[in-house]
Amino acid sequence: MGSESMTCGEFQKILPDIMEGQRKAEHAAHLQSCSACSGLVSDLSLISQQARLLQASEEPSPRVWNQIEIALRQEGLIRQPGRDRSLVPAFSRRWSLAWLLPVAAILVIAFGVTVYKGGRSQQIASNRVAAPVAMSLAANSNDDQQLLEVVGSRTPSMRTSYADNLQNVNAYIRDAEQTVQNDPNDEEAQRSLMAAYEQKAMVYEMALDRSLP
Amino acid sequence: MKSRQRAARVALLTLMVSVAAFAANETRKEYRFTVGPQASVSINNQYGPISVKPGAGNVVVVKVLLRSDKVEVDRNQNGNRVVILSHLFAGATAETGRVDYEILVPSDANVTLHSTTGPMDAEKLQGDVSVEGATATVDVRDISNAHVHVKTLNGPVTLTHIQDGHVEITSVSGDVIMNEVSGPVVQVNSSSGKIRYEGDFGGGGEYSFTSHTGDIDATAPTYASIDVTARSVKGQVDNDFPLLPKTHITFPVDKARSLVGTAGKAASSVKLLSFSGKIHLKKR
Amino acid sequence: MTDARKPQGDRLSESEAIERAKQGDAEAFQVLYDLHKRRVYSLCLRMTANTAEAEDLTQEAFLQLFRKIGTFRGESAFSTWLHRMAVNVVLMRLRKKSLPVVPLEETVETEDEAPKKELGAQDAKLAGSIDRLELQRAIEALPPGYRSIFVLHDVEGYEHNEIAGMVGCSIGNSKSQLHKARMKSKP
Repeated sequence: MGSESMTCGEFQKILPDIMEGQRKAEHAAHLQSCSACSGLVSDLSLISQQARLLQASEEPSPRVWNQIEIALRQEGLIRQPGRDRSLVPAFSRRWSLAWLLPVAAILVIAFGVTVYKGGRSQQIASNRVAAPVAMSLAANSNDDQQLLEVVGSRTPSMRTSYADNLQNVNAYIRDAEQTVQNDPNDEEAQRSLMAAYEQKAMVYEMALDRSLP
Repeated sequence: MKSRQRAARVALLTLMVSVAAFAANETRKEYRFTVGPQASVSINNQYGPISVKPGAGNVVVVKVLLRSDKVEVDRNQNGNRVVILSHLFAGATAETGRVDYEILVPSDANVTLHSTTGPMDAEKLQGDVSVEGATATVDVRDISNAHVHVKTLNGPVTLTHIQDGHVEITSVSGDVIMNEVSGPVVQVNSSSGKIRYEGDFGGGGEYSFTSHTGDIDATAPTYASIDVTARSVKGQVDNDFPLLPKTHITFPVDKARSLVGTAGKAASSVKLLSFSGKIHLKKR
Repeated sequence: MTDARKPQGDRLSESEAIERAKQGDAEAFQVLYDLHKRRVYSLCLRMTANTAEAEDLTQEAFLQLFRKIGTFRGESAFSTWLHRMAVNVVLMRLRKKSLPVVPLEETVETEDEAPKKELGAQDAKLAGSIDRLELQRAIEALPPGYRSIFVLHDVEGYEHNEIAGMVGCSIGNSKSQLHKARMKSKP
């Protein structure tokens, strides 16, 4: 169990210092002769090493950035681009399908994550995050239903209003998607589709972030 | 007969007592914050009106009327940033949680307003104005050289006399009315609300009005300098504005449902898009 | 120290993003957030063992940073500045909730400091068997005070003198609490 020069009790009493690197010859001697203490030291070292792997190991939900961005805009820390810029680049930056669709999808997904965060398993939430962005937002009636339930539970008087507006927006998306499908090169149709997506994103954003207590 | 009269008197008395009790819980307060140039003022009020006007000097004055003790006003100043929040307590309703705000800000302040029920109005400011409300009526007027951003679900939005503005309005089903609104960007996005514009499309800007089922009416003087694209997929497009035809267009032309053309030097771009709403471009 | 030091594609570098964020550029804020979000969120999550609270604290840490970004002059690394701010936000929250940032019973040395028994052969070696998930669970199960010291030292890599300054304890206390936290983290 222990060497003649040092008992396990004595060794473990100064173990914090030993783990800090203050190792003397007598400590090394005890470690060599005592498998329990050497095992303990290697366990603690392993814990310490493994702990470092936990740094930056988790990804926050998209909702976090969404909230930050909203706050930055509210507080005026994000300023709009200069007014002398032409709308053409502004349009492509703000409205490009590649940009807007994920944003709208993220808002929907963020909602899913929020709803599931407390009770249901993280697996469900992560599956939702992995869901293809190309989903039809209009067809996402489950999310709509959950959104309405949340609105209804917090501000019952607003439920009908949100239900009506979601219905409007979903109809808008369906029609706009159909128009784009009829002629994928129709720029005006694409513009309408993106406007429709933005509407849906706004409804979710308002319901989740601002308009509820 | 007598018993009915007595019952009526009791009911009236009860009503008076209730009203008095409710009124007794009302509280008026006033808060002042000294700020520097281009201060940022944010008001978040779940239930009740917010009215913002320019005041004197470098002071933000917040006058509130709290309708009950179910709500209080949280204030926070961090340098040039003032954040005001109506803090609802458990059991607060739209009535008991209501707070009426009257705000005076330096005219160059940037203002952000939130209220579910509103109404909200802001006027005579030179700073950016951002307003968001669900069913709230929004009225913004006499703003120059600033961004005006409004979002509502079904609250109607009225903008009047916005000069050199960067205007973005998104409303799902609220009507949007603009009088004398001009600037580099004027953008309205609606699902079922009507969009009405009266003005000269000035400023060499990009005017984009998009709707799903709502009608779009735009009225401009004949001196307007515009490049117009109007199109309704299933609705009708009418025009009595004198436009010169254009040759290059990006979508199939159906004369009853689309319109392209220019007037003057075509300094401003005007896009009017609807799915099934009627579009009407009119001469003033 | 960060998730991705180098810009991806045509994204801004960190130093470019800092300068542009000072001008109120939305994209720059997002670049900075993307670079550091995992580290900050992970810190918050480890310290609180609660996802909702960790999200809230992450938001608060970044907002505090962005509000002060105009004052950042580059004397220290941006990441150092941000992470220190995140730690302060978390510690402040723990204090507000009256959760101990240092184990209460540990401020006075007691007989318990010494091991009551000499560890025998029955203490199974971990022998490299502890995985990340197990350790994660073990950290979550630690009392808040131990957890703070462990996360700050072993996960985040702060020195004892820094930790002592942050949480308000002696260096010796920080060392001994860390040791106990490691002992408690053993399966």
